Amino acid sequence: MQLFIEQLINGCALGALYALFGLGFGIVFSTLGILNAAHGSYASWAAIAALAAVEQLKLPFLPALVVGVVGGGLLAVVVDQIAFQPLRKRGSGMLGALITSIAFWIILDNLAGTATGQQSLSFPRGSYPGTMFRIGDIPIPAMQLITVAVMLVVTFGLHMLIRRSRFGAAMRAVGWNQTAASLGGVNPRYVVIVTAFIAGATSGLAGVLGGITTHNVSFLLGEGLLLKGFAAVVVGGYDDVRGTAVAGVGLGVLEVMSAQYLSSGLRDGITYALLLTFLLVRPRGLFGSLGFSRP
Amino acid sequence: MQALADFWRTYQSTVAFAIVNAFFALSTYSVLSAGILSFATVTYAAIGGFVGARLILQTGLDPLILLPAAMAAGALMAYVVALIFLRLESHWMALASLALILIVRVAVINVPSLTGGVNGLSVPVTLPIGVLGILLALAMIVFYRLSVSWYGIAAQAVREDPAVASSLGIAPRRIQTIAFVISGAVGGLGGMLLALVLQFLSPDTYFVNIAFTMIAAVVLGGSYHWIGSIIGAAVFTALPVIAQAFVPHFQEVANGVVLLLIMIFLPRGLVDPRAIRLRRAARNANANANANADADGAPAKVASAAGAAL
Repeated sequence: MQLFIEQLINGCALGALYALFGLGFGIVFSTLGILNAAHGSYASWAAIAALAAVEQLKLPFLPALVVGVVGGGLLAVVVDQIAFQPLRKRGSGMLGALITSIAFWIILDNLAGTATGQQSLSFPRGSYPGTMFRIGDIPIPAMQLITVAVMLVVTFGLHMLIRRSRFGAAMRAVGWNQTAASLGGVNPRYVVIVTAFIAGATSGLAGVLGGITTHNVSFLLGEGLLLKGFAAVVVGGYDDVRGTAVAGVGLGVLEVMSAQYLSSGLRDGITYALLLTFLLVRPRGLFGSLGFSRP
Repeated sequence: MQALADFWRTYQSTVAFAIVNAFFALSTYSVLSAGILSFATVTYAAIGGFVGARLILQTGLDPLILLPAAMAAGALMAYVVALIFLRLESHWMALASLALILIVRVAVINVPSLTGGVNGLSVPVTLPIGVLGILLALAMIVFYRLSVSWYGIAAQAVREDPAVASSLGIAPRRIQTIAFVISGAVGGLGGMLLALVLQFLSPDTYFVNIAFTMIAAVVLGGSYHWIGSIIGAAVFTALPVIAQAFVPHFQEVANGVVLLLIMIFLPRGLVDPRAIRLRRAARNANANANANADADGAPAKVASAAGAAL
């Protein structure tokens, strides 16, 4: 029973990472209509930036986290303006943006590999909160609590931003139809840049936290998050951030539990089988609305 | 002469990989030409590759005899995929094919008796590069015949507008199913050829990176003509090798940069039948010398841009 609860907590923390990463990926897909293969690279680079801030500049945990998050956001804006803006102007569909994002994925991942010397680095002990809380006999690392809490706060914040604020309305309008949105007094370019920044920043957040909790800072960090975050977005439903959060945590728990009680070889298989099942049977996901479709 | 022989020895494997990649690109093109973006080529390649390798190890027959088996395995898989996936809307279809690749990798790891599992599978035979060239030439003839056949024209109609196509008496679903089966056969063949060129298969041999580079190769070469896939695959294979001479350690980055530049400045790819047609029309118009300036200006501009690209 104790093992079960420990693994449940591990699963929640892992799932919180997937959810956090999936949030930005889902927002870009549902509002900008871009399937961004480079999204994982933002996470890798944010983790690398935060690690550099810790090691070179001797920054404490919080400022280093901010460096990673802002770095991820800025990288996303740069990629958006170079890779997607020219295509957006021309109005070419999803395929073109997918290809340019693949180009950036190749570029950024290879540069990340060079930056880390093709190794898996990790944050030095003491550069992050390493306290271990205990509830009864069950140890809970502080980083896991922080990850889950951050995920909950970001999900709530994004949900309020998208559904309740004027800017969120502008985002949804631009996602629906750029021309109509600009007729309605929205500056699409500004909205797109802010959206890209938010997506990159959440990806960066997942990257830094994931780099710390999994002790792995390399280009592989982003790749792992990309595949699982993508699954979380599809299972949860594209147009609702709450769905992504629930599905991400669910997938994390499922993954840890199946590795513990079934077989570690099937750990990824179950996630991907679930992903495919959802695509085939219920493509709008757990919480997606019926009327959602992109032209 | 000696220099030429050295050159050939150095770049022989690059040519072999370019040919194998051309098969993958043709497989991706085959479904794209019927209006579907699918990454499932990797799945067909994995099935063709592992079935072919296993058959070689079990039977000891010449790989050339076993190639049809790999093709059939790929085609069968593609037919099943088409039956299940074609119900999905376009981008869900792309995502589902991506999920399929991920699942196949897990399956490959978990069936070690067939695939060697995580340790991989070594393939003790190979094919001479001339045979690869002949196979590619055969594939080119097939794709040329297909492109001028009723099927090719119907596929083009389905790609442009499925609703119009079905009003013309073409069943889009049927055309797309045929496209999948062709894609599966070519992909299975490519998968087995890759096994013979690499002589070693691991679970990571057929993974997302092939899917992404192949779709990139097709779009880079030009997704509106089958020859574009072959040219795109050749460029994409040769580029890292060339880049290594100029920017060692960053050849992959150079690959990405070139892909980015081509997509931004030449979105229809290197080979674009429309630009070629427009250029021909512009030339005819010039010859007649009676075209008015407005109509002539635009095509001539497009044509000169395409000319610079070609």
